[in-house]
Formats: sequence, structure tokens, C-alpha cells
Amino acid sequence: MYPGFGPNERTTFAPYGAFEVPADLRELSGRYDVEATARRVRNFRYAEEWTMMLLGGWIATIPEVPVKTGLGKITWDCAVTADALGKRLPELRCGRKAAEASESANDGFAKFIQALAEPETPDLTIEKLAGVFDVLKPHLIAVYERTMRETDQISDAPTIELLEDAVRKTRKHIAWADEVLERLCDTDGKRERRRRRVAALRAQLEACGGVTGTLADETGRAN
Amino acid sequence: MKRFIQHEELARDSRFTRQTTALSTLIAQLPDDVNAVVEVFEKFAPMIEQSTRGTAAEPLYDAYGPGFGLLTNTQAIRPGDPATPTRMKLRMHGIYVGELQALEGAGRSLWDFPDAPWEFKMNMARQCWDEARHVQIYEKLLEHVGGKPGMFPESTFLFECACSDDPALRVAGVNRGLEGLACDVFRDLIKYADEVGDEKMKQAVDYVLADELTHVRFGSDWVREFCKNDPERLKRANEFRKQVDKQFNFGGARSARSDAAIRIAFEDRREAGFTEEELNELVELCGEGPSRETMREAARILRERHHAKKAAAGAQS
Repeated sequence: MYPGFGPNERTTFAPYGAFEVPADLRELSGRYDVEATARRVRNFRYAEEWTMMLLGGWIATIPEVPVKTGLGKITWDCAVTADALGKRLPELRCGRKAAEASESANDGFAKFIQALAEPETPDLTIEKLAGVFDVLKPHLIAVYERTMRETDQISDAPTIELLEDAVRKTRKHIAWADEVLERLCDTDGKRERRRRRVAALRAQLEACGGVTGTLADETGRAN
Repeated sequence: MKRFIQHEELARDSRFTRQTTALSTLIAQLPDDVNAVVEVFEKFAPMIEQSTRGTAAEPLYDAYGPGFGLLTNTQAIRPGDPATPTRMKLRMHGIYVGELQALEGAGRSLWDFPDAPWEFKMNMARQCWDEARHVQIYEKLLEHVGGKPGMFPESTFLFECACSDDPALRVAGVNRGLEGLACDVFRDLIKYADEVGDEKMKQAVDYVLADELTHVRFGSDWVREFCKNDPERLKRANEFRKQVDKQFNFGGARSARSDAAIRIAFEDRREAGFTEEELNELVELCGEGPSRETMREAARILRERHHAKKAAAGAQS
């Protein structure tokens, strides 16, 4: 029933691996080593944590009630994603206390987040939503998906799993905000406000290299 | 975006009108004296009248004068009472805007305290989602009883008196004061829904009450954590919560009495983490200020004077 120690003491079970049906085509290689993945996870967590905080702050300053309630849910989703990213950090040799570590890739990205958070008054819902949902979140999806594709599919599978969940939720957030913005931008002037806001922030995001600060090396574009 | 906003800055769409918060604050400080209550309401009458214009409260002002709120606040909502439909709409609307302010308060706690511990942020983010659902639930319940958002003026005094600049005081005010009040109001509403066989209302409010217990627990945990090794801060937090509780008594509307307009939900509060000492303090606080009889008498005088003024104005024209 069980194999012994000598060559003649094998069992009679045929070799059968679950990974052979279907064949496991994944390869043991990835673009990021443990340290690089940990850095990216800290960068992602920074973006999610600050998005959570600024959306929470905006709820009181936005007059449209369905937007307030919609942001309430998205605030929680961002918190859950930031929390999951944080819990991955101790698993990536960052120490037990690393679960609350967020890190901006560079000063440029920190300034981008500040620019994102600038709109304050109730007449600026378009600028608030366009910044987060037309610029930052599509960028995060692009970077998360690239990370999922390029990291080691077997060794770094836990990171892939949590990013899959983040991408799924973020897509819903973008679809919701797009519908809201389509309704809010009911004149050419308002559509122009949305376009201008997106153009300015996207330029700033590209200039700083995005959430990881490495866009130029990876794709050369923010989205 | 700046940190720490004032209650006047809470953004609303064109359906809403504001009511002065000064009156609510003053009521909490009034003695148990009919003349004092009448004097304050007469002083604020022009402001009260203005805030009711164009809302469903306008006919109430017309019928009862500036003290119409005293009548609605001091009476329990009972099945079969002819005033119940109006009182229910007022109560539901008050809860709806209260949930809006609780959502805004939880959201601001995330932005106002960026260096707070992560678990605190998680709790506040969760509260944002919960309060957002509560807004959605009460919007539907408001429609269920024949009302709609913005039909009555909104007082933002819940946000005003609960949102302190100190996170320990903020959670003491919002999570223990405001959410504790929610426990009282919702238990009362569940009882009413049960009496009239309104299963939709009963189930929805029961879910909301379950959330509120969680939020009170957040508050209890964080007051303890923020004030750890700092007895002075703990004292300030407790004083702040008491002050908030006093303001949330609505001039004697909430009490331990069985015929109170809003009864203290002792069992729910115990489950949420309020101590016996805190509950005794609350009962004591509810006994301070104008009694229900004082408020009713003041409302009667205010109504008579209001009609006398109207008659005099009619005779002149």
C-alpha cells in the first residue's frame, strides 16, 4: 500500500498527476522575483488605500445621492483589495508587520494621487469621478493584468488570485462610474470638462511612470 | 481636498432644504420650563417657517405653528392613530437623512484621519458600505410609507454634534452616540412593524439594526484602543458621548419610559457593548431637560399663539 525505502519496494499505483489532465503548460519563470513582486504589491496597496480614503472623503461633498451610495460600496471594495494586498506582503518575506505597508513608487505618483484628490466642492462630481474611474482605475486594471500575465504562474499564484478579484471588482466600478458620468455629462461643456480632466491626469500618470513607476520600461503608456 | 468639514458643507441635491441646527442644540440645553421652551421656539419661528416652505412640513407649520416638531417628536407612533401616517413619514425621513449623515461621517473618518490604524480604516470603510445600504433601504421604506426624499427639511445636527476632530471623540460620537440612538429608534420601528403586520419593514429594519450593533461595537473597540494609557482622553471621549446623547434625546422624546416616543433599546445596547454604568447614565441624561409634558404644553401654547397671530393678520388684511 505504501512505498518502502528500497528500489524494489515501490507500490503498484500507476504514475498519475492531476496536473497532467490537462497537461500543465505553465512554466516556472516570471518577470518578477519575490522582492520585485513585494514592491509592486506595496505600490498597488498604496493606490487602493488612497482611493479608498479619498472616495470616503468625497461622499460628503457630492450632492447626487446615488453617487454617494455607490461610492460607499466602492470604498469598501477598495479597502478589501488593499487588505488582501497587505496580507500578501508577509508571505513575500516582508516581515509580519508588513501587512499595513503601502508605498508610492515615487514622488510623482504620490503627487498624482494628490491631484486626484484636489476637487472638493459639490459642483465638481465630474472631475472627481473622471479622475478615479476614467484614469486611475483603468490604469490599475492594465497593470494588474500585466502583472498576472508576467509573474510566475505557479510560484506567485496567490498574487494572481488576489489581483483577479481586484480586476473583477474594478471593472464593475468603472462600468458604474461610466454610466454615472454619461448621465452627468449631458452637455458639450460638461463632456469637455470630463475630457480635459482625463487628459491632464493621464499625462501626469504617464509622466510619473504609473502606479509602479516603471511604465516606460514596460509599455510606454499609462493605459 | 481639505480635512474636517463643517456640517453646512454636506452636499445635497435640489430636493433638499436645510433646517437650523441651532434649535436642536438649544433644546438639549433648555430647563424643564414651558415658558423657556415657548420663548426659544418663538425666537426661531421665522427660521423654522422658512425651512418648511415648499416642503411637506409647510401644512404642519400652518396647522401647529413653530412647535409642530414638538408634537411629532414627543408622541409614540401607534397603529390606528390618525396622526401616525404623518408622524411615520417624518420619522422615516429623519432616519433617511440620519443615515445619509452617518454615511458621510464614516467616509470623512477615512479622509480626516489618514494615519489611523489600518483596522480602524477597514471598520470605517465597511461602515461606509453599510450606511450606503441603509440610505438605499430607508429611501425605499420612506416610499413604502408614502414619503419621498426631501419632503421635509433636513437638520444636519447629527453630523454637526457627532463629528469631532479627535478620532477617539469621533467614534464616541458617531459610533456610540449616533449609532446607539439608531438602535433605540430601529427597535421601536420593528415593534411598530410587528404590531401592524408590516413584514417588509420589520425585516429590513431588523437587518439594519444588526449592522448598527456592529457599528456600536466598532465604536466601543476604538474608543478603548485610542484611549489606551490615556485616561484624560478617555474622560473626554466619555464626556463627548454623553453630550451627544443629551442632544439626541430630542427634548425628552427618548427615555426609558414604556410610553416614550423613542424607548431606549436596553437589550440591543447591551449586546452592542454598552456597559450597565453607561446605560444608567443614559437613563439619567434622558431625565434631564424639558419633560414630555412640558414639551406638549409648550406645543399647545405655540399653536394657540400661532393661530391668534394668523387671525390678527387676517383681520388686518
